[in-house]
Amino acid sequence: MVTLDEIAGTGLLQKPSDTPIESLERPGSDYKSLDTFALPNDRQYKQQFADIYFLRLTKIRPAVEEIATAAWQDTELGGETATKVDRVLDVRQGQLCWVVGTVYMDMPLKPSVLEDVSKDRWISAPTTSDHYYDGAGGESVMLEDDSGRVRLVGSVLKDYFLVTGCIIAVMGTENSNGEFEAIDLKFADLPPQPGRWSLSKPPQKPKVKNEDVEMTDSSRPQPSKKIAIVSGLEFSGTDTSYAMELNLLLEFLLGEALDPAAQSELSQISRLIIAGNSIAKPSEHDPATDKKVLKKYGYDSSSYNPLPSQLLDTFLSSLLPSMPITLLPGVQDPANVSYPQQPIHAAMFPNARTYTAAPPAPGQGQAAALEPGWLDAVTNPWEGEVEGWRVLGTGGQNLDDICRYVDSEDRLGMMEAMCRWRCSAPTAPDTLWSYPFQDDEPFVMKDCPHLYFVGCQPEFGTKVIESPQGQMVRLVLIPSFATTKEIVLIDTETLDVSKVKITA
Amino acid sequence: MESYNKFLAENVLTEDKVITYRFLSRTLQVHVNTAKQMLYEFHRSQNAKRPGAVHATYLVYGTKKATSAPSESQNGTDGDIEMTSSAPEVESLADVVPASTLCLVSEEQLKDNLADYEEVTSIHVYSIAPHPTKDMALLVDAANQVLSLNASDEGKNLASITNPRVRRRERQGVALKAAAASAAAAVKPQAKPAFSNVKEESKPTQPVQETVAKALSSGLTKKPASSLKRGGNSGIMQAFSKAATKPTKVNKEAEAATPSSEDSSLQPMSDDGEDDDEMSQPKPRAGPGFRTKRQREEELRQMMEEDDEEEEAQEKEETPEEEPMEEEEPPAPEPVKEEEAEVVTTSANGRRRGKRRIMRKKQIMDDQGYLVTIQEPGWESFSEDEAPPPTKPKTTSAAPPAQASKPKKAGPKGQGNIMSFFSKK
Repeated sequence: MVTLDEIAGTGLLQKPSDTPIESLERPGSDYKSLDTFALPNDRQYKQQFADIYFLRLTKIRPAVEEIATAAWQDTELGGETATKVDRVLDVRQGQLCWVVGTVYMDMPLKPSVLEDVSKDRWISAPTTSDHYYDGAGGESVMLEDDSGRVRLVGSVLKDYFLVTGCIIAVMGTENSNGEFEAIDLKFADLPPQPGRWSLSKPPQKPKVKNEDVEMTDSSRPQPSKKIAIVSGLEFSGTDTSYAMELNLLLEFLLGEALDPAAQSELSQISRLIIAGNSIAKPSEHDPATDKKVLKKYGYDSSSYNPLPSQLLDTFLSSLLPSMPITLLPGVQDPANVSYPQQPIHAAMFPNARTYTAAPPAPGQGQAAALEPGWLDAVTNPWEGEVEGWRVLGTGGQNLDDICRYVDSEDRLGMMEAMCRWRCSAPTAPDTLWSYPFQDDEPFVMKDCPHLYFVGCQPEFGTKVIESPQGQMVRLVLIPSFATTKEIVLIDTETLDVSKVKITA
Repeated sequence: MESYNKFLAENVLTEDKVITYRFLSRTLQVHVNTAKQMLYEFHRSQNAKRPGAVHATYLVYGTKKATSAPSESQNGTDGDIEMTSSAPEVESLADVVPASTLCLVSEEQLKDNLADYEEVTSIHVYSIAPHPTKDMALLVDAANQVLSLNASDEGKNLASITNPRVRRRERQGVALKAAAASAAAAVKPQAKPAFSNVKEESKPTQPVQETVAKALSSGLTKKPASSLKRGGNSGIMQAFSKAATKPTKVNKEAEAATPSSEDSSLQPMSDDGEDDDEMSQPKPRAGPGFRTKRQREEELRQMMEEDDEEEEAQEKEETPEEEPMEEEEPPAPEPVKEEEAEVVTTSANGRRRGKRRIMRKKQIMDDQGYLVTIQEPGWESFSEDEAPPPTKPKTTSAAPPAQASKPKKAGPKGQGNIMSFFSKK
């Protein structure tokens, strides 16, 4: 409880004085962007999707087998020792065994390519249903590998999140119906985690160390840097209900709002990450989307509303002089639809694009970009190293799609499951549209991130998960700003999370 | 310092405007924090004179009481904050994190609003207005006034947080234009012969670019010369080459020309570019200057066909040709674009971008339902890697030299080239 009398006449609630105002300086941002999810420019879409599953199984199988072997090595059940079976088709009826494979969920409401083809629908529309399960138990869980497929049954399946595409090991027996009675499941668990500063060099801070040794209390410890993560800014041409909040967000991040004490706190924000959906979905009432048959050659201002991207550009270019920005595309952004989404093209930001990195010179190829742009438009999902921490972030489609499989609101649990499956987008390419990878499957987590955030979520949430090897991952659900008006601040020393709510 | 009172009185009281601290700061060139104090002081002094004269909105930042927490912690000391912020209001799955709230409230609601706070870290006047603000969304317009002031340059001293590490890509715009200009100039020699000679037209664009590249670097003169050979029967061509030769003719002989075509340096090259530039000007239909010029050239061509003697034509042409050349230089690039086979808009980092003219086949269904295939000219943008390394020195200094070399146009060497060509014939 704060009363007006307490605060009146203090701080900025007094006459302007001539005291000089010290200028605050933002710390630098140690930052490296990885091109794990970058697609080649000359990509083709002719190839089949099966390779993704094959690659994923090949990559994750060893880890799963290792864990399963350790767990079930000498398991005896009813006098029978569990044995490892290499292929799904080699499972013999009545034999206690365990096998590794890819989960496939057959669900009543799940979109199916075969159905589309059989009904002669050749242009598939984006999924409209918000879940694939029907609640009546019409789902069935299969385990498959390149040899074949077996149906899984058993109550243990209910204890875990399972979606199409995750790699699991199952122990059990095949019953007389040809179904596999699962007794236990194992996942690959967290991948090996690189140490901090594995890709970039830590900033040299000899001064601080000396002070720590010699005169600990005379020097105030350097306040640790923060990164701000926001998603769902949803700049809109028609909906202005949260425009003031967006304005306040800008002033907040710029450090123009608030008083000197708060400003110096805010000056420690060294980077902003925008995790998708910077531009609003065109609303039904938007005159721009009304179907007018009137055809006009070239640019038709009545059928296209450039305001959202203009607003975004203004926002970015106002903020960029003070802060570097990493921009992930989201499901509504002007980037390709299928995962992994490629960076939003700089042409979308006529003003802000002067802060982007120069396009790579032809001779040097893509890898030669020496330093990332001040405005770094990146892929979704995106992997990088911020202040030495390995960061994995997505615009939210991967998690949203998993939510359609699972009748649960525990999104953090699903994020955790993704880490334990070692797959950041397991449902691609089944229900999450994806590029048909052929040589590499980037969704497999090779390195365990320290920070894993998912943008455009209905509400904020965070937790830390650990693996038996002692790896810790900070999971953060970034709420959509347009609905919650919240942004997330993450301390770059402790990875502690705080949030700021903006109301107007 | 007191000027703000006047400014605020004018804008708020007289003109009924809503003034935010950012707008005040930008307008009066004061620090944002000072502007906040000015707003407060103005609000206080005005309301002291006449209560309700101006209305303020406040921006409050702090920790709110957890919603589920009982409101027994009325005194709002530090100890209470920590306890309540860790209150188990969130489901056990997720960690509880400290949450701050940034809130914009009108002065009428300030008291109630403050009661919800555990601790207020910061509070200041956000804006003042002559009327109470009912809907905060209406403040957007006031807040966006800032954008109308060009805050780009001056804003730096006024905002509180600066970032010394900010990097911008150096604007390529300037270099671009220069490059485009020079490239365009260089392109013309090729485009032009291609136009006048039908055989040339079928030439694929790729070689054209290569030659452009060469032209840009230095070996330019060869190409025009050879195409001139082929296009030698073109009247306009001749007329122009003669026009160009004219100044040279006075004392420079053909002999001087032959060597120069081999080792023509930058200046003669740009001379060529300029000359050719002017040559292509007759094409554009737009612009009165061009029209007259075109007529002039038409005359000239006829004259040339009648009369093989060069001297006469040159003398005739001498006066009319020289002056317009100078005048028409600035508008030249624009109309030229319509005519060229390609326009290079960017040549930076060894990568060239631009547009080239192509013929597109288009199938349309006419009103009787027949499919009709028509060919229509169109522009296709291209970007390619091959670029001459020597372009770089050129690009950097392109704009000034292009202008500077103008007076030198009459230089002996460049003129000699074409001259030599004709004399050989």
